[in-house]
Amino acid sequence: MRSPFHSEQEAFRFLLLLILGLLPVVLAAALGPTWLALAVLAVVLVILAARVAQLRMRKLRGLALPVKMAPPHMGSAAERRVLVVANDTLGEEALLREIERLACVPDTHLLLLVPALISPGARLTGAIDGLLDQARVRLKTALDRVGHGLVVAGEISEADPLQAIEDTFAIFAPDEVIVSTRSERAASGLEPRLAGLVRERFAVPVRHLVFEPGSAAREPNRDTEARYRHEFGDAAARKFGLKALAGAGILAAVLMSMVALVQSSEREEARAASQAAAEQIAALPPVAKMVVLKVIPEGKRGPEGEKHDEFTTTEFVVRAGQPQELRIDNTDEVPHSITAPEAGVNIVVMPGTHTYTLLVKQPGRFLWFCTFRCDEWAMQHPGYMSGYITVS
Amino acid sequence: MLIEHPDEATGLAIASGLRLAGYAVAVCPGPRGHGQCPLTGPAGCAPAHDADLVVCSLGYEHEVAREVLRELRTRYPDTPLMVEVPSDMDADLRELLDGCHRLPAPATPEQVVAAVQSLSGHAAVEGRAGA
Repeated sequence: MRSPFHSEQEAFRFLLLLILGLLPVVLAAALGPTWLALAVLAVVLVILAARVAQLRMRKLRGLALPVKMAPPHMGSAAERRVLVVANDTLGEEALLREIERLACVPDTHLLLLVPALISPGARLTGAIDGLLDQARVRLKTALDRVGHGLVVAGEISEADPLQAIEDTFAIFAPDEVIVSTRSERAASGLEPRLAGLVRERFAVPVRHLVFEPGSAAREPNRDTEARYRHEFGDAAARKFGLKALAGAGILAAVLMSMVALVQSSEREEARAASQAAAEQIAALPPVAKMVVLKVIPEGKRGPEGEKHDEFTTTEFVVRAGQPQELRIDNTDEVPHSITAPEAGVNIVVMPGTHTYTLLVKQPGRFLWFCTFRCDEWAMQHPGYMSGYITVS
Repeated sequence: MLIEHPDEATGLAIASGLRLAGYAVAVCPGPRGHGQCPLTGPAGCAPAHDADLVVCSLGYEHEVAREVLRELRTRYPDTPLMVEVPSDMDADLRELLDGCHRLPAPATPEQVVAAVQSLSGHAAVEGRAGA
């Protein structure tokens, strides 16, 4: 596979642009949510597409510089060098006859330049061998037909036609350029406006031969050249601009859909998480609004048959950070307590009926007990003067 | 060589003669051609900067042509100028052309080429004499 780049400098510039383009995307992906990375990617792609479109439109519109250049004449003063640029019209009988005629003029040298017309897509994928072979066959057929091997040479170029002509000026220094095209651009043909572009750029006479299949060559007048320039330059640039705009719109829509999809998926995940949390909470034991209980001395028989002091409720279920009211009727004559040091709870239960608040901030299961000396056995056994606080 | 000529065909004919004489050429239609002349704006003119000689045939009845000439003299004082001038020059133009090589207008392309060659010959002789 061939490299799609013309030079190391071009490859380096591409690499640099790639790094500069990907850097913000990577940073956004590392530091922000997925949708931000996608949004940054979208912006980078839009900037890239806009730049490509701008370059393409500039190329279609041609140069706005008024200066034409030409290198010094090569060879003796009598020598005349003619550059013929053609591709699909190279087999035209009228063109071949004109080349033969020029080849017969003494001291005239001809170079047939066949740009292979490689599209940017083909250049990028490296699928250019077919186009080069086609150009080679056309050139060989023309050279075989024309003969005059000493004065007629041929060359294939992979470069853009205008670039190929500029390169040829550096080595062949033509005194005249003949550009051969059709009046409408064929898939494998040169653009009719090429002659106008060459005329604008180089300070040598330029002849434009326009062919329709099988007919004689025609040299378009100034108005026709202006029309070619408009149809294949400005109008093509406008058309391309519209296409680029539509493409950018589609790209933006696709990327926005992706951002929306990611955001929706994140929302879905959040919703699922919140639902799971709600289900978890629902699965917990219910919390009463107010727990009513009593402290009864010798109110409950132990396993050994003796009667012991008791809290009628010893298992409390509360929510973390939410106060729970306890209405306790202490029927004893002395105070008791609900004390859970790990939970930060110490409620002194005075004789009589009073309302207390049980508040635990952290979830967990905590042992509580009465710290007032009463029934020692009951103080050490949950279900009597001890129990658990479950906090969820 | 930079050739400033408003007529495309004449500019090309001068260019052709100069190329045959062994010079690389640049042809510019001047400020009345299409596009903005970089000399009338802040940007410079690269062909004028690189030229060994600038041949000007812009028709100096227009102020913009005089402005180009003025800019060429100011920005590139070391680049020699050969100016095709009418016989009835006003004082302003006469002052502007002080130190330029003058060629009586109208000059044919052959005359321009011959004048450039003659000037180059002089320069070569002077160069040899000085060496």
